[in-house]
Parts: sequence; structure tokens; C-alpha cells
Amino acid sequence: MSRNARPTALGTALLALCSACRFEPPRPVLHFSLNAEEIATQNADLDENLADQEHLLGALEFLFGTPSHPKFLVLPEWADEEVPFDPNYWSVDALASDEESERMAALRASNARAYAAQIAAVRADDFDAVPEPRYAPDLWEDWLALVAERREGSDEERDWVAEGVELFEGYFPLLEVSAELYRQQCYHCHGAEGGGDGSTARFLNPRPRDYRPGIFKFIAEKSKAHPRNEDLFRVLSEGIYTTAMPSFRRFTDAQLWGLADYVKLLSIRGETEILMISDYDSAEGIQPETLLENYRLVVERWRNAQNDFVAYEGEIPESTPERIARGRDLYMDANGANCVKCHGATGRGDGESVKNNPEDATDEWGDPILPRDLTRGLFRFGRRPIDIYRRIYAGINGTPMPEHFGMQITEKDGTKRLLDEDDVWDLVFYVRSLSAAPLHHGAAVPGAAEDAHAPAEHE
Amino acid sequence: MQALKHLLLRAFFTLLFLAVPVLGIWTFVKAPDWNVWFPESVSSYGGEIDRLFWLICWMVAIVFVLTEMALVYFFFVYSKRDRTRAAYTHGNHTLEMVWTAIPAVLLLVVAFSQMGTWAKIKMNLPEDGPYSGEHPLMQVYASQFDWRAVYPDREGNFRGADLIESPYDIYVPVDTKVIFTLHSRDVLHSFFVPSFRLKQDAVPGMAIPVWFEATKVGAYDLVCAELCGWGHYKMAGKIHVLSKDDFDAWLEGRRAALYSNGSED
Repeated sequence: MSRNARPTALGTALLALCSACRFEPPRPVLHFSLNAEEIATQNADLDENLADQEHLLGALEFLFGTPSHPKFLVLPEWADEEVPFDPNYWSVDALASDEESERMAALRASNARAYAAQIAAVRADDFDAVPEPRYAPDLWEDWLALVAERREGSDEERDWVAEGVELFEGYFPLLEVSAELYRQQCYHCHGAEGGGDGSTARFLNPRPRDYRPGIFKFIAEKSKAHPRNEDLFRVLSEGIYTTAMPSFRRFTDAQLWGLADYVKLLSIRGETEILMISDYDSAEGIQPETLLENYRLVVERWRNAQNDFVAYEGEIPESTPERIARGRDLYMDANGANCVKCHGATGRGDGESVKNNPEDATDEWGDPILPRDLTRGLFRFGRRPIDIYRRIYAGINGTPMPEHFGMQITEKDGTKRLLDEDDVWDLVFYVRSLSAAPLHHGAAVPGAAEDAHAPAEHE
Repeated sequence: MQALKHLLLRAFFTLLFLAVPVLGIWTFVKAPDWNVWFPESVSSYGGEIDRLFWLICWMVAIVFVLTEMALVYFFFVYSKRDRTRAAYTHGNHTLEMVWTAIPAVLLLVVAFSQMGTWAKIKMNLPEDGPYSGEHPLMQVYASQFDWRAVYPDREGNFRGADLIESPYDIYVPVDTKVIFTLHSRDVLHSFFVPSFRLKQDAVPGMAIPVWFEATKVGAYDLVCAELCGWGHYKMAGKIHVLSKDDFDAWLEGRRAALYSNGSED
């Protein structure tokens, strides 16, 4: 055995011993870091003042805790609201207050599936046989507490089986448990602060999302609003096809809602930080009033996201050849929706603007971006007509794709009017018809169907 | 004293070597109790795979036990004694013929006994089912790092806007010869469903037809069995085997949901 191999072998043996004894080394207390790039580029004063950087870091920790113990600071005014608002239980409160509560039912069904073995043992009143679930230390702690209570015996009559089943079926993770899940599943791409700068991020194209500016591409809202919990949940559940963001359906609904809450925490923390950096003045330092004001502002923006939801009442219209033809006219017309400028006459994402000024095609995170090739039938955030409707209606945050609803267009006869819902539907069905077109115009290409989902040359 | 020490050492090492076959067989016997054995086979050809597995397993087990026994016996009987010298032999035509012929025969047994099963599973797609290589039930796309099933539109096309995408969860009907094509969007992956005894590599640029017939309703694990990158461990999925009616209802439900007005989002 060489000299180097010996400590390795010793370490391996020690690790094996530890895992055999179920010994977990104490977890180090983690801390968030500051957004160094933002400070360096936006505020030279703060960049030089290391003491105030420490103050800012401490102030943010006061609001949001650490990755090991994340929390939202609850402002007194929120506690006084008619329905007290506590962002620490953001998703679970929103789900529970949902009148139809379909999502809550889905969440309970998902828990029932994930903890079927536990629930079966509880139903059989065999409390000792309940196996420890994975990824849910808080649930296990609650369960052990219930078992202990039962063992001690209490005077009152309690339905222990029903309580046990409810514990597993109604489980919703604590924020710090979601943070731990984030550390295991998301951290390596999205980074500790959600800066999209994890260790595996540099292998990816497109890059992982930087949450800190609070800009999210795939949402169902207009006016560059923030995402709702449902939007974040959907991304986690469906993944974003053709990117490195996988589907995380192997976790329960409750865990995904919990992760969405933690992503919100990172994003709100990042936005507050960016506001603090731009507000910083070396004469005043870090002021608590400014801090709370910025925090309140950012949280309110997130709370108001619901108001910008792009809803469509009633049944969506039917696709007709007339509609597709009208959509084509709008698509091609420079005075119409002018999609052709970027997406090109054939819809392959090779419009004039891309050909002439490729350096202009960057997103708000500074990465190169190309218009979607609409002929491939691949839509990153859903292929339903309503998904494409929302993309065209509201645009895509952080990208050159603008909001089309209400833009001014000129008809062929010269009359000016605003682009309305019906026009958006025309465009939707034209865009959808493109993905049914043959891949290569002209001769049929053998195996064309197989190529449809092959990797793009540029993402 | 010296003789006793020698005997004890002999006994110790003999028992140590004896522990190898004993522990080896014991783990095989106990494996199902520890839940580290095959899951229940729920595909039409799972039994054939298991029979081949057991054929090879028994061959290996018998040879393993015989050689281990010989090793232990020799260890005890021929351990070095004082001043005895080893005797060397060279060349024994009969012995060499025997130890060449027996493995050759065993190899031929293995080779010929699996040919029919291999052809059935990998080479010939079943023609008596509702699906074929040209009209598969679905396409399955492997990518770093998830699985995604794509079901055709009502006309059976795999191009167009009305396809059904289902990440992670793959739905198939029970008691039906399901044919699907396996694709990769980036690197090598491998579609492995232990309960079906089915494993097939996904190769970029190829549409590989794969078939199975699930015999029991339930949800079964799908894993990636080819190291495909740093997120390989994430690449899991679930195959949901539904009754035929449930499957049709599911597909119909997904097709209807395509035209939802999004109010449920």
C-alpha cells in the first residue's frame, strides 16, 4: 500500500463505519454571501466599504436567516392583517385557503402515495413498524413525538390512528427542510444564494436561472410581474424541456411547494439586496428603515403577482384555416405583430434581426439568446394553446420577446388599431400549425419525426 | 508446542477461506429478506429472463462451491510442513482436454439457451399487438437528466402541436404488447425497468424500438443504467401500468387538457 493510499483507505473505512453506525457528522452552519458582482458594478462606495458590506450581510441575515435556518421576518403589519400573512408558510397557507382546494387534495393524494408504507402501518395500528420516510426529518420528528405522547398515556381519549394518518397525509415541510432539499437537489446548479452560479452551472447552456433579480421567464403573468407559487411549482414539476432543468416529480407535491417557497426566499433576498446596494450611500451606511422599506416593497410585489395573471374566460377558440391565415398575415406583416423580424419567414428562428445584429440577441442576464425555432414543436413552458397565448400576450421576461397584447398595429388599409385577444389567438394557431409542417421544406426527409426532439444547435 | 501452533494456524486460515463460500451462499439465501433481490417480475418475458438468470446462477454456484471446497481442502491438507519440498508437475494432456471441454460445453449451453429469448425481446417486435415500430405507443426521450414520454396526437402523428408530453411519469396499458421508440437528446442513457427485466441503451441519433408487455397494474421504477453525467442519480422515472380503460381515459384526459383555458394554473 502506497503512502497516499493509506489515509484514503483509512478515511473510507471510517466513513463506512460512520454510515454503519448511522452517525452523521454535525452539519456546518452555512451562510449566504453578498452579490459581489452587483456591488462591484453598481456601487463603488459600497465596494470599498468592507465594514458596511458586513452590515448589509448581517441585515439580510436578520431578515432571511441562513441557509441552515432560513426564515422570513414577519412584519407587524402582516400579523395585524385580517388574515395574518406569514411568508414562512406562504404556500401551505395559500393552498389551505384555496376554496376549491383541488391543489390541497392533490397534495394529500401525493403524500398518501409517497408515505403509503407509513400510512398502512399506522392504519394497522402497528406504530412500531412505521419506517422512517426519506427527505422529511421534520415529519419524522413529529411522528416520534406523537408515538411518545401515546406511550406516556394521556387522560383524554384520542384517535391515535387518525392523528397518525393525518400527520403523514397533511405533511408540509418546514422552510429549513426545503432549504436542505434545495441544497441536495438544486444548489449545484443554482448556487447557495440562487445566483445560478453553482459548480455545475458552467457546463450548461442555457445557464441556470439567477433568482436574485427576481426575473422569471416562465410564468403565467403579464406586466413583467413576479411568478406565483403555481408557476414555480409547475416548472419544478414539469421541468423545462430542452434545458438542463429536469422534472422533479419524484418528490411529493408538498416538497415541491416547499421548494417553491425557498426559491421565493432566495429571490426576495436577492432583490432586497440589489435594492440595498443601489440605495447605499456611504454617509448614511445601512439604515434599518431603508432595509425594511425595501423588504416590504419586494414582498408586496410578490404578493400582488396574482393580479397580473393572464386569464382567459370560457372555452378557447377553435383553430380554423381562416384563423391560421389571419395569424400568418399578422406574423409576416412588419406593421402587424412582426414576428417575422426575429422568428423568420419559415419560423425557424432565423429572422433578419438575428442575421444582422447577432450581438443584440442577449437576455437580461447577459447570455446570448436566439428566437425559438417554431417548427420543431418544442415549447419550453407548455405546448397547450393557452401556454403559447400567454407567451405571445405577455412576452417572456428577461428576453427580447415583447408583450404583444395592446401593441399598435396597422391594417392593410391603413387603419391603426390595438392588437387584441382574438389576434393573439390567430397567432397562437398559426404558430402551432408551424410545428406540424415538414421539418425540411421540399423533399420529405426520412426519419424526420425522430429528429424533432434532437438537440438544437443553438439553445 | 511448535506443532500445535502450526495446527492452529492451519485451522485458522482454512476456516477463513471456508468463510468465503459460506458467507457468499448465505448472502444469496438472505438477499430476498434484505430486499436486495429482484423485484417481482411483471412482464410477459420476465420469467424467461429469470430462467436464464437461474441457469447461469446455478452453473456458477456449483463451480464456485466445488472450487472453493477444493481450495479449502488443499489448504488444509497440503499446508507447508517442516522441510517438505513442493513437487512440480508439468503437462497432462487428458486433464487439459477435460478442463477445456467442460467450459466450452457450458458456454455453448449458455449461448444456445438464450438465443430464442434474445431474438424475441431484442430482435423481433411482436406483430400481433396494436403497435408497431412505425406506429409505436409513444416515444421516450432520455436527456440529461430526466425521462420524457411523448404520445402522438389523435391521428397518430409524432409531429405537430397536439402531442402529449409526460415527464417522469410514463403511462402504459396492461396486458398489451407495448412498442415504443427510445431516443436520447444528448449522451448515452439506458432505460432500465427492473420489474420488467428490461434494459435498453438509448443512443443519440437512433430511434430504437423497444417492446414489453406488462402483466400487472401498478407503478414501477424506471432508472438510468448508464452513467450519463453528474446528474445520473437524478434520472429516475415511474412506469404506471394502467388497465386498458384507465389508460385510454388518461390519454383522453390529457388530450382534452391540452385545450384547457388555463384557469386551473
